[in-house]
Amino acid sequence: MSVRYIGAIMIFVSCGAYGFLLAANYRREERSLVELVGLLTHMQCELEYRLTPLPQICANAAREATGCLRMVFSVLAQELEDQISPDAAACMQAALLAVKDLPSLSRKALLALGNSLGRFDLDGQMNELSAVKQQCATLLEQMRSHRDVRLRSYQTLGLCVGAGLAILFL
Amino acid sequence: MKCAWQELLAILPPAMRPEVDKLGREDAQELRLRLGRPVELVTHSGSRWLPRNISAQDISFVIQTASKYSPWAASTVSQGYITAPGGHRIGMCGDAVVKADKAVGIRTATSLCIRVARDFPGIAARALEISGNILVIGPPGSGKTTLLRDLIRQISNSGSSITVVDERGELFPAGFDQGRRTDVLSGCAKSQGLSMAMRTMGPSCIAVDEITAQSDCQALLQCGWCGVRLLATAHASNLNDLKSRPVYRPLLDTRLFDNVLVLRRDKTWYTERMMVCL
Repeated sequence: MSVRYIGAIMIFVSCGAYGFLLAANYRREERSLVELVGLLTHMQCELEYRLTPLPQICANAAREATGCLRMVFSVLAQELEDQISPDAAACMQAALLAVKDLPSLSRKALLALGNSLGRFDLDGQMNELSAVKQQCATLLEQMRSHRDVRLRSYQTLGLCVGAGLAILFL
Repeated sequence: MKCAWQELLAILPPAMRPEVDKLGREDAQELRLRLGRPVELVTHSGSRWLPRNISAQDISFVIQTASKYSPWAASTVSQGYITAPGGHRIGMCGDAVVKADKAVGIRTATSLCIRVARDFPGIAARALEISGNILVIGPPGSGKTTLLRDLIRQISNSGSSITVVDERGELFPAGFDQGRRTDVLSGCAKSQGLSMAMRTMGPSCIAVDEITAQSDCQALLQCGWCGVRLLATAHASNLNDLKSRPVYRPLLDTRLFDNVLVLRRDKTWYTERMMVCL
């Protein structure tokens, strides 16, 4: 009898934890996008004022960033320094392949950023950076507009599904 | 002889590197890449051909890596060249992009000429005895920049503070000894750089590579009148050739340069006194 209760509790806890995990990922995605927007602004300033070459900009961005983004930008800087890939887009793809647990929206934005890097003169590059920044800002806005509802939904759903399954199990 | 050879290899497509390294490490002068044709490696003893046809991707790779994937940092593309890390100059040919009657870039490059920057410490030791302003002349590829580089180093080590206005970043790339009292202003247009160096660095000597425009001559004259010793290079096969070119007239008329070092094709040089020639 007690084993059955223990099993039910475990089902409830794991479903609830999964719901909370989804909510945490949502917050992580949001934080990552906010950080990426900050990094893009930093890159724009660096470019506009100092015309810094791309490997150095990425190395600087890696120093500014935290977590997954730090990894992405440091691998990207290294790829650019190694001069093995034919263009910056290929370097970004290699960097994204190397960092597995990057939030998906940030991954998409970084892929778009990679496709735009090193292809244009200063004005063109600034415009491209602005476009990626705008894309991130739009995604952030969408995330924030439904943020509370979604977070509550994930957590409640996790708990409710856990409770339902636990009842069925019992 | 010193050369940033690894930097040169690093800008080439990876598949091409071992072969170029094997054939050209000792005496490569130029590397010519032409779309759809084999690579030409020019050495002192003549041309060698690599059994590999150049693709558009190869040319794009060289341009991307030489500019460190940063077209905005290679503004000289509008003038048809990029200076790669190590001071190697890459000349480009292809479809030019023209805006308002002015070339602003190369849309599709079809030929690249990579000139290997080499340093020969000591070749200008003989020129150290020469006083006054010095102009180094010679045909393309005769070693004007190489001679000027060593002359700067020798003068710097002999006790004069010298400011170098290195528009193309070719004179003292990373790893080349620039002497104890040398300050380098690179990437800046010569005419502007000369005036900046004059006003801010208080040099006893100013050096500049490849005078090509009236504005460069005017800036040199301004510096010369302020009592600064000048070192410069110019394209000309000999003194008569120099005199026949209108752009250099102001320098000759004012007798700004006392001495001319004339380089021959075989890279030897001799000195001419300007006073005698005029």
